[in-house]
Amino acid sequence: MSLAASSPANASPATPANNHTTSSSGGGGGSVTSLDSQIERLKRCEYLRENEVKALCLRAREILVDEGNVQRVDAPVTICGDIHGQFYDLVELFKVGGECPDKNYLFLGDFVDRGYYSVETFLLLLALKVRYPDRITLIRGNHESRQITQVYGFYDECLRKYGSVNVWRYCTEIFDYLSLSAIIEDKIFTVHGGLSPSINTLDQIRVIDRKQEVPHDGAMCDLMWSDPEEIDGWGLSPRGAGYLFGGDVVAMFNERNDLDLIARAHQLVMEGYRSMFDDALVTVWSAPNYCYRCGNVASILELDENLGKSFKIFDAAPNEARGIPVKNPPPDYFL
Amino acid sequence: MTTTQAAPPPPPSDMPDVTDTGTIIGSIKLQHQPLEPASPILVTEDGNDTTMMQIDSNNNTNNAAAAVEEDEEEEEDALQTIEKLRSDDLSARVEAARKLPSIALALGPERTRDELLPFLSDGIDDEDEVLEAIAVSLGGLVPHVGGADYASSLLTPLELLLAVEESVVREKAAASVIVISQSLSGADYTHEFVGMIGRLANKEWFTARISACTLIAHAFPKMGPELRRTHLEYFAKLCKDDVPMVRRIASKNLGTLFYTVVDTLGAAVFFDKSNANYSLTLLDLYELLAGGDQPDSVRLHTTENCVCFGRAMALMLEQSSSTSLEKEEIMSRIDALVKRILPLIAATIDDRSWRVRWTAASKFADVVHAFKTLHGAMDALVPNYEKLLQDPEAEVRTAATYNLSEVAKTKAMVCPAGWSGAGSDSDNGMDIDDDDDENKNTHRIPVAQRLVTRLVGLTEDDSVNVRAALAMVATELAPLLGKDASVSNLLPPMLLLLRDSSSEVRLNIISSLSLLNDVIGTDLLHQSLLPAILDLADDGKWRIRLAVIERIPLLAKQLGSDFFDDRLLGLCVGWLGDDISSIREAAAKNLQELTALLGTEWSVQNLFPRVRQVMEHPSYLRRMNAVQATALMATAMDVNSAQVEVLPILLEMHYDPVPNVRFNVAKGLGIVGTVFDRSVYQGQIVPILTLMENDPDRDVRYFASKTKELLSVAFEKST
Repeated sequence: MSLAASSPANASPATPANNHTTSSSGGGGGSVTSLDSQIERLKRCEYLRENEVKALCLRAREILVDEGNVQRVDAPVTICGDIHGQFYDLVELFKVGGECPDKNYLFLGDFVDRGYYSVETFLLLLALKVRYPDRITLIRGNHESRQITQVYGFYDECLRKYGSVNVWRYCTEIFDYLSLSAIIEDKIFTVHGGLSPSINTLDQIRVIDRKQEVPHDGAMCDLMWSDPEEIDGWGLSPRGAGYLFGGDVVAMFNERNDLDLIARAHQLVMEGYRSMFDDALVTVWSAPNYCYRCGNVASILELDENLGKSFKIFDAAPNEARGIPVKNPPPDYFL
Repeated sequence: MTTTQAAPPPPPSDMPDVTDTGTIIGSIKLQHQPLEPASPILVTEDGNDTTMMQIDSNNNTNNAAAAVEEDEEEEEDALQTIEKLRSDDLSARVEAARKLPSIALALGPERTRDELLPFLSDGIDDEDEVLEAIAVSLGGLVPHVGGADYASSLLTPLELLLAVEESVVREKAAASVIVISQSLSGADYTHEFVGMIGRLANKEWFTARISACTLIAHAFPKMGPELRRTHLEYFAKLCKDDVPMVRRIASKNLGTLFYTVVDTLGAAVFFDKSNANYSLTLLDLYELLAGGDQPDSVRLHTTENCVCFGRAMALMLEQSSSTSLEKEEIMSRIDALVKRILPLIAATIDDRSWRVRWTAASKFADVVHAFKTLHGAMDALVPNYEKLLQDPEAEVRTAATYNLSEVAKTKAMVCPAGWSGAGSDSDNGMDIDDDDDENKNTHRIPVAQRLVTRLVGLTEDDSVNVRAALAMVATELAPLLGKDASVSNLLPPMLLLLRDSSSEVRLNIISSLSLLNDVIGTDLLHQSLLPAILDLADDGKWRIRLAVIERIPLLAKQLGSDFFDDRLLGLCVGWLGDDISSIREAAAKNLQELTALLGTEWSVQNLFPRVRQVMEHPSYLRRMNAVQATALMATAMDVNSAQVEVLPILLEMHYDPVPNVRFNVAKGLGIVGTVFDRSVYQGQIVPILTLMENDPDRDVRYFASKTKELLSVAFEKST
């Protein structure tokens, strides 16, 4: 599962840079200046070369491996939900919320799949993470998984844009290192999906060995798959993974862990965000006009230095702010 | 180098031509289907297996060793490209097709002509992308086939490409053919090029005939009299073609052809018997193609053709004025032509298809300019334009409105709107040379003056797009009308637009007000402008607010500091606290620009105290934006005020509890630091930066040391 082991086996014509990959983990395009220029390129929606992705992932791994399963985050911070490869809407998000590092960000996972630009979206966020580790936090969503990305687009996109699956392999290996949840000033718990019947305290999350593919069941799976619902106690999830959990579960969890609020993403909310259970839980959704056709608005949750909340609602980026999607030939694997 | 592979399999059965035509390169057969994808074998005709390398190195044995090496390298590249040309992979074939020049260079002129071109001619059933790339590449191959003398050999594959289904390929092929035709000698031009056009025009399959439509106009000037006659006959036949697609392209090229004919023959169009009165022939065709029984797609070109006919006649008029001998005669002939053409454009404006009317509306300024020198045309055109402004379709009205100022700019005079006698006649464009001509002339007014009366009606248009278009262009009438007419006729509708219900309309009018300002002065606008701005500043769409902010400096430039009363000042600083980050950034830049435009003193008195208040705001976002704004404003101030008033406050912010604010102090110092002198830099700025270099937050440390480095380099340079 290590990056070094995954030497590019199939030298496809689209990746002549393979031979020049950096040997040392920190070297080769690792300086702040080259990172800044990579971020600039990514912001223009240009994707990085394969060897740059490899180097970036190696550096990201060094940072992420030190983060806890319940990563501590300081206020002020802005919480963002699902992005799903909608690159130009992510740019819009930064226009509305402010650029990183001026603003601190916490992204609740589901960076990839469904949208046209999963590669650019994830790499931009990852590059920002490497460049400003204290200003941006990324936690894992259910789509940050090998299985899911093979079905919902990220795999195909990597193959299409790079001609090989190496970039997909680098990225999915990084997914295993992403934190599972975060806690802001000890008061606000954030996670992609929700709670798990096998978890009562935050310490139980802290002891999970997270460096693996998202399992089909168990605590780690539930954190990324569960949904809140107006029920009592626990229920079966129609998604086939995770659980439904009610207001009483949230109240008990918050009380036991001395929390004010659970912030999560994972579910499309037409109005951008939705508070439930007397404001004990909030869903934040940051992919406007989801899948380019749902017609929803998106939101981000700004927390100031005193944990004062304000939601910023935004629409999809207008067409003139979007690049023209490059028309690529269909994937070669049909031949 | 002989390979051990088995004998070649037979050529694919669906391509028997390959063997017959013998597309052989260096005794090596190129086949469109690779026999085995990865096989290095190239198959000779007599069955001997050899490789290209062997042949080529044999050829090179007499050369100097270095040259051989170099050649081999080039050869190898070319070899690889040739290989790709027959690849299974579409993108490889496209890439190879783009590199035809380098293949041809490696093969040399003779083999390019004898082998490569026939090979290409055989591959004509490839994918469109490949054919497109080949069509483009062929245009640049003249030097590679042996120069002008052999250029006609390129026409053979291109003639096939000019007849394929895909229009993009045909267009590219036509462009290449035209390039190649320019290097053809007289005889080749006539026999090969013009002959090819003749063949295309009479091909059974319509796609070839479409290409002929495009090429006839291009070839016309260089044809001899006899060929001109026959090719115009061909063109006439194409205009009457059974296939509407052919008629559409014929229609598209008719105007160009007419212009070319006039440009080539001059007044001979009318008088020379051998020219068979081309002008009337073409006009007949024009009337035919503009007719109501043609499909929309054919009638769609009526307007463009009208522009071409107009320009051609203006050209003739220009030329005739120098040779006064036949001038009278020419004038009367042109008048006769104009009289026949104007009803066609009038019919377009009443066309049943909105697309046809839309085309007319969006090109009407061109029509007007093409006909401006032609006697009496304006009296027919302007009423028709006014009709477009009232078209039932909003799209058509919008397109027409966009053209308003361009139409108004024409120098020609026109009779006033309600002038008796102009009404019904002018609609069909027939009111030229009437008896009361003189009477009309005394009443004539500029077009702008007539059109301005239409503005009020347009401000009440149901469509936002029409009003937005109007708001964008209407003020351009001001310089044409002059002050008095602008105040009485233009200002009222503009004030209506400033109160329009749509923010886009208001934004457009605010952006375009400067022209009106220049003509009538600011006083009259001032009172209506401010409420419009305040309104837009509250707009729910942040891009509208952004657009307003970006226009504030322009207004400041035009209206001066008096314009900035308390409310507007509050607004400008208030934007620093907007919900949207981009607005806050723009607000900071706006304050900087206002400081630069209206002066340090004004800024320190009016802006800075307000910004300073924001620095004490409980939200870190506000404080951070105030820091950014302060640094930017200081760059636009005189050094003394910046140092006394602004710098201490900026430096003080490094105590802020939120790291984001602190590193923005460091960034701000990087922006403003260089304006101060060395003592301030060393005495005040460096100590703070040094302090910040020990900050607990790593990003504060980074930006502090970066700024320190930046400034020390700048100050080192200055000594």
